[in-house]
Amino acid sequence: MNLTSLSLIELREAIQKKEIKAEEALLAHLKKIEERENEISAFITVLGEQALVQARKIDRKKEKGRLAGIPIAIKDNMVTKGIRTTCASRILGNYLPPYSATVVQKLEAEDAIVIGKTNLDEFAMGSSTENSAFFLTRNPWDLRRVPGGSSGGSAAAVAAEEATAALGSDTGGSVRQPAAFCGVIGLKPTYGRVSRYGLVAFASSLDQIGPLTRTVEDCAFLTQIIAGHDLCDSTSSAQPVPDYQEEMKERLNPIKAAYLGEKILEGIGLEVKDIYYKTLQLLEESGAQLFEKEFPLWKYALPCYYIIAPSEASSNLARYDGVRYGFRDPDYSNLREMYVQTRTEGFGEEVKRRILLGTFALSSGYYDAYYLKAAKTRSLIYQEFQRTFEEVDYILTPTTPEPAFLIGEKKDDPISMYLSDIFTITANLAGLPAISLPAGLSRGGLPLGFQIIGKHFHESDLFRLAFLIENKVKFYRYKIKLPRKEE
Amino acid sequence: MKPKIDVDYVSTLAHLQLTEREKADFVPKLIKIVEWVGKLEELQSVDSGIEGFHSVPFSLPFRPDEIRGSFPAESALANAPERKKDFILVPKVIEEK
Repeated sequence: MNLTSLSLIELREAIQKKEIKAEEALLAHLKKIEERENEISAFITVLGEQALVQARKIDRKKEKGRLAGIPIAIKDNMVTKGIRTTCASRILGNYLPPYSATVVQKLEAEDAIVIGKTNLDEFAMGSSTENSAFFLTRNPWDLRRVPGGSSGGSAAAVAAEEATAALGSDTGGSVRQPAAFCGVIGLKPTYGRVSRYGLVAFASSLDQIGPLTRTVEDCAFLTQIIAGHDLCDSTSSAQPVPDYQEEMKERLNPIKAAYLGEKILEGIGLEVKDIYYKTLQLLEESGAQLFEKEFPLWKYALPCYYIIAPSEASSNLARYDGVRYGFRDPDYSNLREMYVQTRTEGFGEEVKRRILLGTFALSSGYYDAYYLKAAKTRSLIYQEFQRTFEEVDYILTPTTPEPAFLIGEKKDDPISMYLSDIFTITANLAGLPAISLPAGLSRGGLPLGFQIIGKHFHESDLFRLAFLIENKVKFYRYKIKLPRKEE
Repeated sequence: MKPKIDVDYVSTLAHLQLTEREKADFVPKLIKIVEWVGKLEELQSVDSGIEGFHSVPFSLPFRPDEIRGSFPAESALANAPERKKDFILVPKVIEEK
């Protein structure tokens, strides 16, 4: 049995039935990490010894949790007690959190094993994981290409079978875009569905934690465990969490969905369009009623996001001043100099750019023209979605305008990098749940994603439709070959 | 609207210092981004009585007003870059004349 290629549900069953030990499962994954990390570099920290101790403990337990022995990778912007949490930033390079994020506590309460902390764009700002202050991560499907971002390490680790599943965070597409680039499933839950306590804040009104997995059922299962109200996050919802795994398998109601009109799809890759229409056709053949929608406000989503997210970031990142934790530059003669030196030396280029942009948008004289206008635009976008959801239950889009791009290709052109989030960003602005799943391969052998956006708190609907598409597309028949870099 | 960004003023507000080289690289990129987000100007309707967005379209539950434990001082201080006993050390905040 190849333990690393098993789905979470399969591995869980094998461990629960004592066919294999948690220790064996973990060792198989650690071996895979050893084999593949040289090329992929998905992890900032791998937890070998510590994870082994935990696995052995779980093997001795009589009553095992629902995730007993499942190796899960955590994006390195979720705090883990006593385990270095860096946000891929120099400013938190040696930070040892005194507590664990609620999602991590929930996973550990179910006996999951945190196998490591994954690479990301610094403070989750980016779409390629090239903005990590430490190193870049490579796409397991083609090592010359980026894995997407900002949860690029999490997506690459799951695709390369270095972990059974992973958690990422999604502020503008940071779970779904890398999921699409790496051929895995990625969910951004409804805003408020999952506690953000212990997720290092980037843009608090947009951030949401979500799972990355290789099957839709794994995604449903993991979502169920991490979702729910948390006293430590006042924006988390008290709505009860349904049994997603159960509901996913229920019969689908007649499918009514909206798809994007030509105007929005202008300028996107031909192969992306092709797979998008093929997937729509699959749905039509299954009896879905599809309606073309123009979404006239969609084109304002990205500019709107690039005011709101940097504004919130400039405020959230004000806490990194070298006083209480993290890096402090030794070269200062007074307090202000200490702040300035620490932040100037501690933050990378993209983070500085966004802090400056946000500071500008919030500064006196510009607030109304930029921030307030963006906040109002956001309301309009939300209303447009609400109106659409009076007629349909789903909105279907490609996840990204193109497959994974080459390393370095967009590094010097921020706007072209930002454009890779054009389809994912609206769900964050409107707080809606959205899932990306692989819908096929490009001719060059790169995965292409399909996105389903649903109504608030209708994650079950997303899983049901994604499950249907998964069974039709059968993406699992494609395997990564892990070509070597020099090829 | 051609945006003007006083990058020295903005970086002072943000507690960041830019080298001349960084400025030469950042400023054109920032201006490009600000021009691009200026697209929102096209949306005249946003001024007609639309409220700003609230990200939580459901009522927020309150937690009971009960005293709960917090971090022991030692673990809260463990990451301090410089400390003395139970205090974090910083340069003098009030300067002498």
